[in-house]
Amino acid sequence: MVAFRVMHVAVTAVGADRPGIVAAVSRVLYDVGGNIEDSRMAILGGHFAMVLIVALPDGADPENLQRALAEPAGALGLITTVRPVADAPPPHAGGTPYVVSVYGADKPGIVLQISEALAAAEVNICDLATHVVGDQEPVYVMILEVDVPPGAGPETIGSALKVIGSELGVDVAFNPMEADTL
Amino acid sequence: MAVRPIVRYPATVLKAPAASLEPGDEAVAICSDLVDTMRASPACVGIAAPQIGVAARAFCMDVTGHRKARSCSGLVVLINPEIVAHDGAKVAREGCMSLPDCTGNVRRALTVTVRGTTPEGAEREIVADAFEARALQHEIDHLDGLLFLDRVSSLTADLFPRKRYS
Repeated sequence: MVAFRVMHVAVTAVGADRPGIVAAVSRVLYDVGGNIEDSRMAILGGHFAMVLIVALPDGADPENLQRALAEPAGALGLITTVRPVADAPPPHAGGTPYVVSVYGADKPGIVLQISEALAAAEVNICDLATHVVGDQEPVYVMILEVDVPPGAGPETIGSALKVIGSELGVDVAFNPMEADTL
Repeated sequence: MAVRPIVRYPATVLKAPAASLEPGDEAVAICSDLVDTMRASPACVGIAAPQIGVAARAFCMDVTGHRKARSCSGLVVLINPEIVAHDGAKVAREGCMSLPDCTGNVRRALTVTVRGTTPEGAEREIVADAFEARALQHEIDHLDGLLFLDRVSSLTADLFPRKRYS
């Protein structure tokens, strides 16, 4: 927790993967007094992609940060954005975590149709990753962590997802997220 | 004979190796509190002394009735436990009462043999597999100042290998 008032910005950076990207971006954030709170960074299709929620001292100018990022962005070939974001709403409590696995032959529309079905059931997607794995017969794999709201009927949601899966010709599994508290 | 509050990270007692314990009244009292606290905590299958703020090598565990358990030694209460043999490995998602709202994938041995002493001083050996083996390793880690986050083996599903692009 930071004691003084802060503002939050969303920072993104994407560029061809190479060593030094995180160091260069976090150096700029540190030098402007920023604190990286939540972030995800990963290699996606050979590009290194960063999404960060950064706390800046109150009164800081996001445009200054954008300008400060221009130097490492130029040196490393990064596309960067900086945008102010509102204070995060409190997470809606009471849901049950489930994991959705979708896999099969790649085709357009898998993410769309699965996510539309989840949205229709008021199911919140907390985490989503897709990959194409394998060289000979590539398999499209999508894993989602979702939050099923109280009273939403997980069986109904699971059945709806399986129907979509069979229409798309992909396999769908829908299971409670297993975590053992020891 | 008391339910004690669960100590949460960043309490320093969770990150320091705990001291060995002599069998006797003190060990019996600590272990009694451990069992009372475990029984009072919903879905709790094990607890180690540092989690109730006591820097001593003692834990209790009971996986009776847990759907993932294969071996089940019932209530196990040991001081100065050691893992003397282990085999296999499996990754599964774990959480910890001392680190709430956080889970991680942790690689653990599939089977373990644990030797220790009861609080009264009797030698005991436990051979465990599956969930019971995981619970034993998690609790014994607490006695060495290790939390599951010290052993996280992957961010999310272990499905996506780190791919190198040249």
